[in-house]
Amino acid sequence: MNAVSALAARSWANLRNEVLVLPSRIAVLVWALALLLLPLVWGDAYVMRVITMAAIFAIFAASWDLLAGYSGQVSFGHAIFFGVGAYTSALLSKHFDLSPWLTMPIGAAAAVLCGMLVGLLCLRMRGSYLSLATMSFPLILLGLLFALPELSGGELGISGVRRAVVSPVSNYYLAVVVMLASVFGIWKIGDSKFGLILHAIREDEVACRASGINTPRYKVLAFLLSASFAGIAGALFAHFMRLAGPSTLELALSFQVVIWCVFGGMATVYGPVLAVFILYPLTDFLGGFDLFRDVRLLVFAVIVLLVLLFMPRGLGPWLRDRAERVCPRCKSRNVFTRKQCRLCEAELR
Amino acid sequence: MKRGSLKLLGGLLALAFASACAAQNIKIAILGPMAFLQGENHWAGAEMARDEINKAGGIQVGGAKRQVELVKIDTNEILSVPDATNAIERAITRDKADVLIGGFRSEAVLAMQEVAMDNKKLFLGVGAAHSKLGVNVKENFERYKYWFRVAPTKDTDLARTVFAVLNTISEQMRRDLGKPEPKVAIVAEKAVWVEALLKAAQDTLPKMKMSVVGVWQPSATANDVTAELSAIKRAGADIVFTIVSGPMGIVLGRQMGELQLPAVAFGINVEAQKDGFWAATASKGNYVSTLDTYSEIEITPKTVPFVKAFKERFKRAPAYTAASYDAIMLYKDTVEKAGTIESDKLVPVIEKAAHTGTASVLTFDANHDPVFGPGKVTGIAVQWQNGEKVPFWPNNWNGVTYKGVRPIILPKL
Amino acid sequence: MFQDILVTGLVNGGIYALLAVGFSLIFGVARIVNIAHTAFYMLSAYAFYFLLVKVGMNFAVASLLAVVLVVAVSMLCYKLVIEPVREHHAAVLIATIALGLIFQESLLIGFGGHYIGIPGAIDGFAAIAGVRVSYQRLIILVVAAVALSGTWLLLHHSRFGLAIRAAANDLEIANLMGMNVKRIAMFTVGVSVGLAAIAGVVVAPVYVVDPLMWQTPLVIMLAIVVLGGLGSIQGSLVGAFIISYVEAITVFAVPSGAYLKGAVALSIMVAVLLWKPEGLFGVVFEEER
Repeated sequence: MNAVSALAARSWANLRNEVLVLPSRIAVLVWALALLLLPLVWGDAYVMRVITMAAIFAIFAASWDLLAGYSGQVSFGHAIFFGVGAYTSALLSKHFDLSPWLTMPIGAAAAVLCGMLVGLLCLRMRGSYLSLATMSFPLILLGLLFALPELSGGELGISGVRRAVVSPVSNYYLAVVVMLASVFGIWKIGDSKFGLILHAIREDEVACRASGINTPRYKVLAFLLSASFAGIAGALFAHFMRLAGPSTLELALSFQVVIWCVFGGMATVYGPVLAVFILYPLTDFLGGFDLFRDVRLLVFAVIVLLVLLFMPRGLGPWLRDRAERVCPRCKSRNVFTRKQCRLCEAELR
Repeated sequence: MKRGSLKLLGGLLALAFASACAAQNIKIAILGPMAFLQGENHWAGAEMARDEINKAGGIQVGGAKRQVELVKIDTNEILSVPDATNAIERAITRDKADVLIGGFRSEAVLAMQEVAMDNKKLFLGVGAAHSKLGVNVKENFERYKYWFRVAPTKDTDLARTVFAVLNTISEQMRRDLGKPEPKVAIVAEKAVWVEALLKAAQDTLPKMKMSVVGVWQPSATANDVTAELSAIKRAGADIVFTIVSGPMGIVLGRQMGELQLPAVAFGINVEAQKDGFWAATASKGNYVSTLDTYSEIEITPKTVPFVKAFKERFKRAPAYTAASYDAIMLYKDTVEKAGTIESDKLVPVIEKAAHTGTASVLTFDANHDPVFGPGKVTGIAVQWQNGEKVPFWPNNWNGVTYKGVRPIILPKL
Repeated sequence: MFQDILVTGLVNGGIYALLAVGFSLIFGVARIVNIAHTAFYMLSAYAFYFLLVKVGMNFAVASLLAVVLVVAVSMLCYKLVIEPVREHHAAVLIATIALGLIFQESLLIGFGGHYIGIPGAIDGFAAIAGVRVSYQRLIILVVAAVALSGTWLLLHHSRFGLAIRAAANDLEIANLMGMNVKRIAMFTVGVSVGLAAIAGVVVAPVYVVDPLMWQTPLVIMLAIVVLGGLGSIQGSLVGAFIISYVEAITVFAVPSGAYLKGAVALSIMVAVLLWKPEGLFGVVFEEER
């Protein structure tokens, strides 16, 4: 009993001293809680579906951020991992009648394999070459899938994939919980020593190598990790939509994820997630109005451009910079209303 | 006390809602890619049906007449499949549509079918040809029974029509051009709906005394087929058998005309069914022929008046997705017969229906696909002749000749 | 069959070269990966269609005006959208993707999703070595040759060309030497998009014009410039012909695999990159630090 209360006291102290002191952390907490509680107050099937999709794409966007934002390997063909995850789990579910709880991890594993392959192929390339070469991978795979229609279902894809859970609300919870766990995981990775090394590689690869870091290994690892999360997203997508089709490999999806991340703010993890949760429901919602139906993609593109021009680091960091101030001495963050740093008491200007 | 009054309020609201429903409009969701021609025709056909029904007072449901209200749902399916499923979910749960009509791209319709069946909503397909949609019904009837395909006929029946027309063309070639065994080059886009047709063609054509000189499979969106055409010319083909739904159909027609390939193109060429084909080929698509749905010929007594009224109103000819008109009329008949709009009670009535539509006489088989055959659904074949889309088939096929058909012209090049 | 491959590859290579060289030019000078490059090509095709068919101008005026209009639009876009974010490599990519999407959607709203056919300047065809080639395609070949040699002359025999090459060689040093790098970049955008616009005007009559027409050549064009080496003009030229011949050979060797021509072209590009990561004629940039 004592242990329990001590734990409770410690978590509360943690919560009060670490989370509730910063607006950004409060926002993340409120957002996560709101997502978990939403179905209890507003169980509308359409809302459930849109947020489920947003959650799936949020995993996908965050996974790209891990690769491109942190390690600077700006992949333009990230859809390949999404597609491999989706197709693998759909095929296994269809042909071997495996349980979705098995096919989804296997789908992610397949994506990891694919990530390793792509990572190894891309080791020697950098910058725009890497971007453009990666762009071609999903398109080549798409060509292969069309060449094997018995296996892949060609342009129809694999339909009638079994759902992991049936009702809209349980699907919602599945996607949201996996999303929260994945995004938290990606954030943790980004925050770790590993993430630091990725940052360093992005900033100056030569210096990294000179400091004795095995950069190729880290670059391939970045591909692997990123691919695994993208694969999870793809597998979730296939089982939720009950379909894995060519649209999971199309150029549009690869571009879409880049747009989300840059819009939200690269190398932040929270930025891309924020972007997906704003842009995806927004564009879908606009489609419901006669007035906006035809212009919603246009509105989307214009918003992206404006954000790019006026918040070059993305929406997430921009908002955060408004709400918080960095202490000039100890570099820790403070809420913007404070006059003194909460840790070192230096004056904030 | 508080909880009690809440309950009371809820009850009252429910009652008010129920009574409002009785006099409420019947909501029909029209699903289609509204920025594209298919969606425009979905919508146009539906508008014609709505105005006609509402002018006559509405649909008789039990004791009351109810007006029809259309809900325009842009599925954006040509660009995005997830968009399509979100759109249909919105139509069902937000707009509270009573019935769903439309769909076009098979990949998207398969995904939309799932959402509709999850919600046990009647979904009348107008646009997607893939047989899988119907096979679903047979394999899992209880789940998929709410799906019916109104148009077009499923892909395997399309094949039967195509071969019947090919037979007519090759006979004419033997007679007029003195070619005992016409050579056929098959140009099929790389797609799954093509596979069955392609295989059947390779097996069937030799039996029909035609020789297949090769199969070319460009991508559906290829914007250049000159390489393919040079090869086809070298193979000496007399007939170019097309199985194409994408814009490649335009490119093919135009480049055949430009290079004056001495062959006639026939098959399925969705782009050539459209009014805009002649302009899109810059007047080069002469002699291109294809299967089609609508023309000013007497398929049923309703066809000519419908096509004329459509042209009058929209200043263009209807494309096959305008059969949303037939879908709504079929729905009206069914509801009036069943006296309810509950999907479960409508399904058995539609299964037994024999509805004379504008494009065909609709009856349904066990897959909920329209039954193919003379006097039921046949389709027609048309040829572009100097800017005009001329119907040339069925002309004395199993005793069927639609009034208004004219002969096909074989290019003498 | 041999002469078929030879002629088809040559004609298509001309079209690809026109697109790829322009793309390469602006990358070389300003390191801008302009995803909207083919969107400008599409814009010019639509402008040409509008002026020729809807307004009823004659061929020469319509094509000239279309090219001028699109070049003006591109320079405006550069000034407003690209230049402010030029420092960020990824931001430029997104900005140009967004531009492409904006053009696509605007055209979709303005003209609808219909496929549009544009009449060619001259009807008919010529037989070259027994292979029929329409006159419009020969015009493309001639225009491509003229435009590309014009670009070459401009680059190598004018002060402006010298400035472009200097900037391409080392933007910062050029800046330090007192050159107005911003203006050079903007004019290079004009020249680069001008080539795409010329392609749009001459190619539009042989292809189908629709709001998604920029996506297919985009991928092929990127494959070509990467294959040839980003920023290298001669690399783009060679790459264009390699890819067009690879496509032609695919179609003739495996007719039922014609749809694979795009995938095969991309695979060739990846193979080349594995062998030479900087492309065939690419300059090995010093590690940018």
